[in-house]
Amino acid sequence: MVALQVIVGGLLSGAIYALFSSGLTLIWGMMNFINFAHGEFVMLGMYVALLVVVWLGGGPAVFGIAAALALFALGVGIYLSLIRHVLRGPMLAQILSTFGLALLLRYTAFWIFSANVVSLPQTSLAGTINVGGIFLPLAQLAAGAVALTLTISLHVLLTRTTVGSKLLAVAEDRTAAMLMGIRPDRMQALAWGLSAGAAGIAGALMATAYPWSPSVGETFGLIAFVVVALGGFGSVLGSLYAGLIIGLIQAVSAFWLGAIYKDIVVYGLFVALLWFRPQGLMGKA
Amino acid sequence: MLLDAKNVSKTFGSFWAVSGADLAVEEGEIIGLIGPNGAGKSTFFNCLAGETLPTAGRIVFNGADVTRASPEAHARAGIGRTFQVPTTFEDMTVLDNVMVGAFLRHPHRNDARDHARRIVDLTGLKADQQARSLGTPGRKRLEIARVLATDPQLLLLDESLAGLTPTELHDAIALVRRIHDMGITIVIVEHIMEVIMTLTKRLLVFHQGHVIASGTPETVVKNEAVIEAYLGHAQRRPPPGVPIPAPHSGEGFSGGGSD
Amino acid sequence: MKSILSPRVGLFLLAAGLLFYPIVFSGAFYRDIGVAVLLAAIFASAWNIVGGYAGQVSVGHSMFFGLGAYTPLLFYTLWGWSPIAGIPAGILLSIALAVVIGMPTFRLTGHYFSMATIAVAELIRIFAGTWNLVGAAIGLQGPATARGWWDLTFRSELPYYYIFLAVLGILLTITAAMERRRFGFYLRAIKAGERAARSLGVPVRQTKMKALALSAAFTSVAGSLYAIKTGFIDPDSGFGILVSIQMIIVAALGGAGTLFGPLLGALILVPLQTATNTWFGGGGSGLTYILYGGIIVLIARFEPGGLFELWHRVVPERWRRAHAT
Repeated sequence: MVALQVIVGGLLSGAIYALFSSGLTLIWGMMNFINFAHGEFVMLGMYVALLVVVWLGGGPAVFGIAAALALFALGVGIYLSLIRHVLRGPMLAQILSTFGLALLLRYTAFWIFSANVVSLPQTSLAGTINVGGIFLPLAQLAAGAVALTLTISLHVLLTRTTVGSKLLAVAEDRTAAMLMGIRPDRMQALAWGLSAGAAGIAGALMATAYPWSPSVGETFGLIAFVVVALGGFGSVLGSLYAGLIIGLIQAVSAFWLGAIYKDIVVYGLFVALLWFRPQGLMGKA
Repeated sequence: MLLDAKNVSKTFGSFWAVSGADLAVEEGEIIGLIGPNGAGKSTFFNCLAGETLPTAGRIVFNGADVTRASPEAHARAGIGRTFQVPTTFEDMTVLDNVMVGAFLRHPHRNDARDHARRIVDLTGLKADQQARSLGTPGRKRLEIARVLATDPQLLLLDESLAGLTPTELHDAIALVRRIHDMGITIVIVEHIMEVIMTLTKRLLVFHQGHVIASGTPETVVKNEAVIEAYLGHAQRRPPPGVPIPAPHSGEGFSGGGSD
Repeated sequence: MKSILSPRVGLFLLAAGLLFYPIVFSGAFYRDIGVAVLLAAIFASAWNIVGGYAGQVSVGHSMFFGLGAYTPLLFYTLWGWSPIAGIPAGILLSIALAVVIGMPTFRLTGHYFSMATIAVAELIRIFAGTWNLVGAAIGLQGPATARGWWDLTFRSELPYYYIFLAVLGILLTITAAMERRRFGFYLRAIKAGERAARSLGVPVRQTKMKALALSAAFTSVAGSLYAIKTGFIDPDSGFGILVSIQMIIVAALGGAGTLFGPLLGALILVPLQTATNTWFGGGGSGLTYILYGGIIVLIARFEPGGLFELWHRVVPERWRRAHAT
């Protein structure tokens, strides 16, 4: 039974990984750009949740939406002020831009919140629930379920709505999209908003179930890389599968080898992927 | 025969960009590849240059099979190409740009520099000018100079004469003639009638991935199928949702290539 | 008659300045900064080879630094050897690691390489923290007192200064030589346009690989020098991301892809960091890294070529030409 518990727990956190990683993969797919600060977006979502709870006393729905909106705005703002310019520039500028941003966000968070580990005060989702012999914290279950739903929703948004097809059009052929009356700049800003928003809400969900400190940004950023690499760059559905798999692998590694090894296994998997299957699960060889 | 491409095809998913194209080039010829946009000529061109891997077919250059050879191997074998959108090295001077090409056959700096200087003079450029300060015609000229420095036997020109004023075009055509007189075989993708009629001796016309006509410029322009292709209706584009991956890059929504 | 401001004269003045600095400024505080500047210049110049010239942005270069830092102290701790013996081992390990990372990633777009570097550096850092042989989380120490000159454990900063200066001199000489040769041209071509470079016969993958190996080797040496001088290393000071950040910002601020950019960056940032650490007191390092993050973003947004590029843009072409050789 313990094994099953570990597996389910891994899948639940994996669902959240899937959600924020889909944001990263969206940006890659749209503009061939890697956001090194993506993990920090998740981290900020967690702190937004904390602040909303502490200042306004809202429940999960409130701080969830707050995190999504706040990070959406941040994402758009970052695109307009920074990303848009470096996209036209050398690779060095592109990589340094979000790398520097990550540092800025991370150490500002350290400065404001200190390195202490925090967690959300008890919400309405306290307690554990017994599902067929497994004891799961209700918060984790709810967070995982919501994350799964949102990731699927993002996939549906991209593939079945008008907005989604506009985004995909820009991704595929900017010039053609412009000729069809789509504004690539707007779509790209929207993509950044969605990407950051997804990370933000994933962070808020994460916060309901697990404690954290500003250093989680770095870890989540790397996890996002692995998930996106495994799932295939540009594929939200791939991120979904890969996120679940990574969450599972992480939980099993922690259980089997010890907590300290869980990240080693995941990063090691990344290196192995680069060697043997860089296009990931959903990519073509 | 210098270059022998047989039955070359390239598919992207279910979309046939090129299907069953043949091209035989003798040493010293100037061949033109023409056709409407989306006809497959650029994809075919990229197959010849080694940037796109053909799905089927065989390309033999100087007796060696180069079907699957990399762009670097193509250059070493003696095939050079220019790009439709100039890709000069912006941060370097004209001379440095050309030297990069020269280093292929002249590994030592002084030899490379001398060779590069000769080419720069030949093409009428200024050695110490920054590449970024060149206008489009200058950039196109620099691209040609740079690839010339690799001492190619076969030169593939990708719309290198597009977007020029009549005077610039006149000079560019003269340059291509000079290159041809040096003994270099040329295959040129072009839209401009003047270039095609005056420079090329033989033409291949592409339409919807197939070669629909080949022959001298005079016979080809009178060919009914060719006229129909240029003036006809449905211009073929890949269906939406089928991404055309750019060569040697990551997956996902890479920008679509032309043709 | 050469203008008094010609590059040759400038170079001579720079060399003289560096040579005589610790003699003129003989206080321990000044010498400390001098040594720190030189060390920063060394590892930033090493990063510069692959990150600046070739344009392959490694954000996990600390892995090479750490390998070079651990091996000397490991050889000492395990077998009592002089730390110097560990330096070649560090170099070999770093080159091997460079190959492991470069081989798969250099056939893909540049982003893969960057991501791989950060993942591998983190991987090694965590792993080093668990491996008892290398001291796990506690790390390793060097000789407390010198058993002979070969332990390179000096009380004064002066010998370190000149050793570091010599290494910097060698590195910059090699880089300058590289710049003039085919290898250097090919690196710049790769950075300026990989697709075009390929079409001209540049063996892109091998060239990148060589650049990474060279860069890794020198970064390893920098790590060795650091460990020997400090007498201590642990997973964070060896493999931590802050080390990688230092390399990048020092090189990028001065001018990534230029010969003296990293040295310029070091001359500015190291004293600046010392000053901010003093001003901000205990919270110093936190604020310093906020500042670093901000500087990196500004460089990326406005002047990716760093201060050298800024100089070229701001100072009119004619003035520069009039004063060149």
